[in-house]
Amino acid sequence: MLRVEGLCKHFGGIRAVDQCSFEIAKGSISALIGPNGAGKTTAFNCISRTMEPTAGKVWLDGKRIDHLKPHKVTRLGLSRTFQITRSLEDLTVLENLCVQATSHGFARLVGPSISEEERAKAEEILDFLGISRLAYEQARNLSYGQRKLMDFAALLMSDPKIILLDEPAGGVNPRLLDDIVEHIRALHARGLTVLIVEHNMELVMSLCEHIVVMAQGRVIADGPPDAIKANPEVLEAYLGASTAAEETSDAEAAHV
Amino acid sequence: MSDTSTQNPDAVADVLSAREAYNAGLARSGARGRSWTVAAIVLILLIALPALQFVGNYNYALHMALYTLMYVAMASSWNILGGYTGYVSLGHNVFFCIGGYVSGMILAKMGVSTLITAPLAGLVAAAVGVGVGTITLRMRGPTFIISSIALLMIVRILFDNWGYVGGANGVTLPVTDLDVRWAKIPYYYAMLVIALLAVVASYRIKHSKFGLGLRAISQDEVKAESAGIDTATYKVAAFAVSAFFVGMTGAIWGEYLTYLRPNIFLIILVAAYMVLMCIIGGKGTVTGPIVGAILIVAFNEFFAATLGASEINILATGLIMVLVLLYFPLGVVGTLAQKGRLPRFLDWD
Repeated sequence: MLRVEGLCKHFGGIRAVDQCSFEIAKGSISALIGPNGAGKTTAFNCISRTMEPTAGKVWLDGKRIDHLKPHKVTRLGLSRTFQITRSLEDLTVLENLCVQATSHGFARLVGPSISEEERAKAEEILDFLGISRLAYEQARNLSYGQRKLMDFAALLMSDPKIILLDEPAGGVNPRLLDDIVEHIRALHARGLTVLIVEHNMELVMSLCEHIVVMAQGRVIADGPPDAIKANPEVLEAYLGASTAAEETSDAEAAHV
Repeated sequence: MSDTSTQNPDAVADVLSAREAYNAGLARSGARGRSWTVAAIVLILLIALPALQFVGNYNYALHMALYTLMYVAMASSWNILGGYTGYVSLGHNVFFCIGGYVSGMILAKMGVSTLITAPLAGLVAAAVGVGVGTITLRMRGPTFIISSIALLMIVRILFDNWGYVGGANGVTLPVTDLDVRWAKIPYYYAMLVIALLAVVASYRIKHSKFGLGLRAISQDEVKAESAGIDTATYKVAAFAVSAFFVGMTGAIWGEYLTYLRPNIFLIILVAAYMVLMCIIGGKGTVTGPIVGAILIVAFNEFFAATLGASEINILATGLIMVLVLLYFPLGVVGTLAQKGRLPRFLDWD
């Protein structure tokens, strides 16, 4: 589904992402984890083309996307959220969603800003996420958790094949977190491929079937959760010393 | 997130019903119909205005109306780029100049009136807009503003020294054969049509998918792009549309004044007026630029009449603008809309 090969992003002398390669299988839920500064978000940015990678190749469904503009990547079916939510403040929730709708032809451009189908689809998605009551609210009036949900809703408007979620659990209260996990599972059940960057190890271990671990810009481990938990290199990257796997997940959970 | 399980059920019911009423209100205001009456009356009055010439000499009134309409057109077009898209151009009068010179030179060399060639002037201005925009719209924020001023300076130097178009002395255009009583009327109607087209275009854009994309760009360009919007093309298109109407007004204005000279088109005041009108009226609203144009032209004229054409009248206009912005930080229309006090006839957003 998504294949990354030799991805590099250098900021001056800093190699934020260095020869990063991994593959995400179609229909899987995968996670990209690693300590702070490991280059996870930068890798995300390079894949979604929000940032120009220094080098490397990225394939989406067998098609090279590393030379495309960000909007083309989105139209090919790869959508993402941002770690710090980015909402269009002066626009209503409904408008925020419809910005991400799929129709782009010229005839469509001069048509109404929100077509009836888009409105219906947006309302359906808002219903699914349980925030349909916010449809006509301006994004600026939303709480942080509501913004997370709105970002998530907007993502679904573009009918993506794969979604990249940058810290979906970051700064979200535990109850909302459960909701978000449920939503991710429901979407996965519908056949969506999901890749998340996340610090909450409990969540990662329970939700994901495939984990890629990064440290200092490099991929240091790649495999199913159990193998990752047992991998001494991963523990060292996280804690600087070898510690039992249970402690890792506890420490991380406490940290978040 | 309302957690209903742990609280007093009555209080929860109250909060929920209040919330529902509030949301219903938001949905209603979103679906509120337009008030056409005032717009229609204003349009009829503007169409009928030249009839005053049958009963006396109202050339001054006609001139002021024409001048205001010109700025309504220019501010509304500026608003498409500066208001909706969020790219503040301080060199937009470059397109005013290009429009003026394209049609004016055709008139001077071939005798074809600008009333006929104005659309061509607009197209040339739009084409230049595409060329310039492709380069300068890569910059964001203050850098873009400076690039737009640089464009103005470059074009000013070019026109001041371009022999074919008369350099700094400009070109004198043939004077219309019409009697002085009727001389202004064709230009008045031309400006009326252009202003109407610009306002309608601005309204249509605001309510189109294209406009939604532009507004997304003004809020967060990275987000807009990752949402699937071809931001580069959108911005250039907005720039071109914006340049088109400004170019048309330039064409008419040149023939109306009967001469072309760089210093009528290429002083920064013209560009500053477009910006100020949008800010005073309400940047990013449909009717804001209209209100702003009327206010600024009216204040300028009032102070020029009462305080004389000294520097004091400019100071007075500036003072009024500061006062308006103190009480209407989002512009008159923008602030009233935010407070929910905008009269319906001004609510076209």
